[in-house]
Amino acid sequence: MRSKHVFMAGVAVLAAAAMAVAAPSGGTISGKVTYEGTPAKQKVIDMSKEPSCAKQYTTPPTGEAVVTGAGNSLHNVVVYISAGAPDGGSAPAQAVTFTQKGCRYIPHVAVLQVNQELKVVNEDQTSHNIHPLAKANREWNKSQPPGSPAISEKFDKEEFIPVKCNVHPWMHGTFAVLKTSHYAVTGDSGGFTLPNLPPGKYTITAWHESYGTQTQDVTITGGETKSVNFVFKAKAY
Amino acid sequence: MKTKVPSKRLLCLSALAILALPSLGSAQESHIGKLTGHADSGKQLYRRFCIGCHGPRGDGQGENAPYVTPQPRNFVAATFKCRSTVTGTLPTDEDLFNAITRGFNTTNMPSWAPLTEQQRADLVAYVKTFSERWKNEKPGTPIEVPAETPVTLESINHGKELFQKLECWKCHGPEGRGDGPAASTLTDSNDQPIRPYNFSAGTRFKCGTTNQDLYKIFITGVDGTPMPSFADVIKPNEAWDLVHYLRTLQVSRKGPESDLLKAHGGAAKAADKSGK
Amino acid sequence: MLGGASQGLGKNNKWSLFTSSLSFALLVVAVILGDSRPAYTLPLPRVQAIPAFARKYGLPCSACHEAWPKLNNFGQTFKDNGYQLGNDRDAPIWQQPTYWPIALRITPHWHRENTDHMGVYDPVTDSIVSRSVTTHGFDLTGMDMLTAGTLSKNISFLLVPSSDNTGAFHFESVNVRFSNLLNTSWLNVKVGKFELDNMVSEKRIMTLSANGGMFQLYHFLPAGDYQTSGDPRFVGFGLGDNQLGVEVSGHSRNDYTRYSVALLSSNDGNVNLPTGRGYDTYLTFSQAFNAGSLGLQRVGAYTYIGQAPTNFPLDSNLNFIPGAGTGNEKFYRVGFFGLWYIKKLDFTTMFMHGSESAYLYSGTPSGQTLPFGAQDPKWNGGWIETHYTLNPQFILIQRYELIRMSQQGNTGNPSNLGDMDALTFGYRYYPFMTSRAGFAFHNEYSRVRQRGTGVLPGQDLTTNSVFAGLDFIF
Repeated sequence: MRSKHVFMAGVAVLAAAAMAVAAPSGGTISGKVTYEGTPAKQKVIDMSKEPSCAKQYTTPPTGEAVVTGAGNSLHNVVVYISAGAPDGGSAPAQAVTFTQKGCRYIPHVAVLQVNQELKVVNEDQTSHNIHPLAKANREWNKSQPPGSPAISEKFDKEEFIPVKCNVHPWMHGTFAVLKTSHYAVTGDSGGFTLPNLPPGKYTITAWHESYGTQTQDVTITGGETKSVNFVFKAKAY
Repeated sequence: MKTKVPSKRLLCLSALAILALPSLGSAQESHIGKLTGHADSGKQLYRRFCIGCHGPRGDGQGENAPYVTPQPRNFVAATFKCRSTVTGTLPTDEDLFNAITRGFNTTNMPSWAPLTEQQRADLVAYVKTFSERWKNEKPGTPIEVPAETPVTLESINHGKELFQKLECWKCHGPEGRGDGPAASTLTDSNDQPIRPYNFSAGTRFKCGTTNQDLYKIFITGVDGTPMPSFADVIKPNEAWDLVHYLRTLQVSRKGPESDLLKAHGGAAKAADKSGK
Repeated sequence: MLGGASQGLGKNNKWSLFTSSLSFALLVVAVILGDSRPAYTLPLPRVQAIPAFARKYGLPCSACHEAWPKLNNFGQTFKDNGYQLGNDRDAPIWQQPTYWPIALRITPHWHRENTDHMGVYDPVTDSIVSRSVTTHGFDLTGMDMLTAGTLSKNISFLLVPSSDNTGAFHFESVNVRFSNLLNTSWLNVKVGKFELDNMVSEKRIMTLSANGGMFQLYHFLPAGDYQTSGDPRFVGFGLGDNQLGVEVSGHSRNDYTRYSVALLSSNDGNVNLPTGRGYDTYLTFSQAFNAGSLGLQRVGAYTYIGQAPTNFPLDSNLNFIPGAGTGNEKFYRVGFFGLWYIKKLDFTTMFMHGSESAYLYSGTPSGQTLPFGAQDPKWNGGWIETHYTLNPQFILIQRYELIRMSQQGNTGNPSNLGDMDALTFGYRYYPFMTSRAGFAFHNEYSRVRQRGTGVLPGQDLTTNSVFAGLDFIF
């Protein structure tokens, strides 16, 4: 078992080295994530119990379990290469910042690479607790009163970790911990781009916190751009 | 006869060696003080005492799990409430031993103090075999609990100030009765409703009875529940102030904190900023 | 023994008829038979394993029982703490409203009994001859309804209506206990009818057969003792019988150290004050030691100091006035015991010295002249019981019990009259182990021999029992 791991790691290192030489040019996968059907209407968040947050909004915000845009675009979908690509190698030195502001998480879905630093910041005038409900990783739970320094953490296993603040039950987010460095999160347009892919056969996975995952297989032969679209079925509840 | 003895011995030795191999991984053993617990003995005890709630696979899905709130601990997830170690890390063997010995107040988990220490150590060793984490990770480093500061009125008052500043009251309520504004919405990590601790209801905490235990609870957090760790946000001497104030919320308990407060009119004043 | 033993032969019409028509020697036989269970009487299930608790707490039987009904230290602590686990979930307010604290136990079985040197009427010679008598067939035990639990925090109860196998009920246990008084485990008070605080509990005996389903020593009375004659004014005494009274007990938090003191009405647990106005005292103390990986070892001592009336005032109709007896004469039991564990193997060792007044033995009113040769009978007895608990679902049981008279109740008796040897062995297999109900296959053999109590002078009375049953409790 162990020797296999070592072997795999060796391959990964070799592949990473090869990539470093062959990159940056390569194939690209891009596309759009949309939904069909009628998504459940997101509830307006009642922040009356937390006036310091409520006053930051002129119109009360709604929940973010499903965020959509024009043309049935679906936001907050993590699209990544789940198989075929070499591991991302060592984590990027740059930390991913996860901000609590107005009793919401910014970004709603934070994508990290395994062992990449996560910085959790509280910009609110109230205490939050950051509670990632990890299964594969360690489940921890830390309090962060106003004015506290940023919390720095890492996750060492691939996992989509729901994160919540127990004090403010509407606060839900996700730490998407990935092995790969090839990922994108859909934004306003629902579009994504995964550039710099060396030739190979890839499995692309799209993950959405409410609608689950979808995968497609894509083969890259050279410097082409392949179009891949995902359509999620909206659940009415 | 004589010739047989050495061969027998050899056999024993080699048998021992074979037995020793799998136990090289420390997950098969526990060490509490001078005691060494063994998972194989623990397995039989687990079958006898624990299986009804925690289940044959240790996943907290025993035959009684549907009727038990809060749910029995899932040892496969290896998230433990009462630790001396920082949040998110594995507890020490001693933490698990103490948890088995103490039981969990206001849950279905009784105190297993009637079992011998050896039996409890064996159980700790076996409980650790349910999760791979015990093979891949080391237990966290126990937090340091500095010497307790004197119980003074200033300390209690400052503790109350912290109680408000850190927003403990949001869950535990302004008088620690477990009735804060967020109390009704709280869920544990299995999405089951959970109540915040009601300080006025008794004298025991989930993770012990002493001031040191109380100190550990909010510094390490109660993993798997909404109770977070305050390790990064409270300084040690302030933590003792909070301990002293929290003790005064245990209205059914007689103690130096409550006595002192009573002697000074009975109510802590958070506004007192006495140089802390 | 239950009601049967406490009322001696009086309850057994067959036997009292039989004995009244025979000589003193035959009376002795009957007495002995009555005490050692003749071929066709059966012990009631005396056992207290209470799945109502398992259901309440979600613990499997094996959590509290080494193998039910025998308690382990966890179960003993639970019991000693007033049926509380101590995690603030004990009071009924925490239970589902539909929860009923009731358990029922009964044991359908097949049994075979054989008695040697039994007196049998021979129509050919028109005399009583010594014969071997064998009986066997399918049968029932009595039934116990065990209801127990907490009424409130630190107030617990035990109510055991118990029937014999014809369905006739009596109250085996009725008591309320106030636990942890003054906030300490050292002070608990129990009032009602209860088992004496025996760490070697006959209510939790692991054997069930007619001869093996009791500790002979706990009910032993010397051969020829008038107290077993069936005279309702003499109820005799059995250490295994539940008694009426009040008990103060206490224990260390882990239950290693235990004591209990009881003040009991001198009626051997019989209701309506059938005899006199005396009170008995029972004291016991035990201490456990942790022997590392071997397990918990316990040693203890006990003494019962009792009395019974010998003078009986009569009313205007010349009937005895129950409960008004005077002229109390003393008896006592004293002994010590050990519970020894070597991992899965455990031993119970028991020693007892017993004695009673010659007035009680001979049924002579206090102050009057004793019959010629009468003296205080004294005896020593003990047993070793061995269990091998392979796992919580299988247990092997063996017990060897012996009782030796050190002084006969009459100088004319043979010195070994009434000496007893009892061997019992068997196993219990529990095919499943849940927290809802208990079920066991039970097989057992038992042999009891008593010296000089056969039908003819010098003959030993020997009884054999084979028992195969299904023991269930819900």
